Amino acid sequence: MTTPERIPPRDRLMHLRDESVKAMRASEQLVERSFNEARFMASLAIGLALVGFLLVAQMRGQATFSSSLERQSDQNLAIIIEQLTGENNMLRSEVARLQMRLLEAGQASEDRTRVLNEATRELHSVAVIAGLEAASGPGIAVTVEDPDHVLLAQDFVRLINDLRSGGAEAIAINHKRVSATSGFEVSRGHPTLDGTVLASPYEIVALGQPGNLAQSLTMPGGLKSTWTTFPGVTVAVTEENILTVPAADIREFVAGTPVEDAQ
Amino acid sequence: MLSLLALLLALALGILLGLLTNVSVPVGLLTYIGVAVLAAIDACLGGVKASLERNFQDNAFISGFITNTLMAAFIVFVGDRIGVRELYLAAVVAFGTRIFRHLGDVRRLLFDRWGWG
Repeated sequence: MTTPERIPPRDRLMHLRDESVKAMRASEQLVERSFNEARFMASLAIGLALVGFLLVAQMRGQATFSSSLERQSDQNLAIIIEQLTGENNMLRSEVARLQMRLLEAGQASEDRTRVLNEATRELHSVAVIAGLEAASGPGIAVTVEDPDHVLLAQDFVRLINDLRSGGAEAIAINHKRVSATSGFEVSRGHPTLDGTVLASPYEIVALGQPGNLAQSLTMPGGLKSTWTTFPGVTVAVTEENILTVPAADIREFVAGTPVEDAQ
Repeated sequence: MLSLLALLLALALGILLGLLTNVSVPVGLLTYIGVAVLAAIDACLGGVKASLERNFQDNAFISGFITNTLMAAFIVFVGDRIGVRELYLAAVVAFGTRIFRHLGDVRRLLFDRWGWG
């Protein structure tokens, strides 16, 4: 600030004022410019951020579009159709194969069930014959009174024999099952079945065709006509629809073992 | 130099935001947004050039940004409506040319500033 000496003090003051006003204006302008610059840069940054964001969204949308079917060329579409048709055919044959297997498996399981049912039925009849299970069904009930104990073991053996001839499937005397291994004895004047003393009156139950069973005992010259000639012995035979015989006592076989596949 | 870095950072921030939010432009709007993005890139390059020329008119930038993007999308829309679907090519060519010119200007200005010219 070099002011010439010859300028009067008043003018010098005026000049100083002008200078200071100018400086103030300049600094004001500077502030405004920097303010403008900041605002401009901020909006530019926002614009660029928006551009980046839109760019990514656009690329993603374009990727989706490119992979969509409508963008594929005809040749590509033909190849895709061919592939899908082949896959479809393979899957169809797979389905058919699996259905066949399912059917076969069902058949096999049906067969197995049938065999199992048969075996079970057979097992039951074997168990009934062997006396392993209690059995019930039609048959005859025979009541024999022998107050004087004249019946011997062989008379009971004949009774069992006659009943079996008449088709008896299960026999019990006084609620004791007569099995394939049963035996009669007479001990101290009383008949016993497998060691159990039988007391009069004897209640005999035989399962089978009631008519046949009754006939096997009551036919002329049969057991009933023979036994009634013994002193004091009476025989009453009744046919029943439902009778029950208990299971035999389980007996362990020691000496005899099954011979399997004897050839 | 520092302000240029800040601008690049803003661009990266926008890209990151796009990647994180998993936003996708619907297929029907792809052409519209694509041309609009070109317009936005053009406006931003123009802004960078102006800043290098120390010509900070934020009103001009903001109005240019908005009107250019909207007009670009509108041109595509009009093309679709009147059956001249290729009208969007006009916008693409116009903005592509401008983008390359702005890029050249920015390059020249940077060379001037860094004294490589």
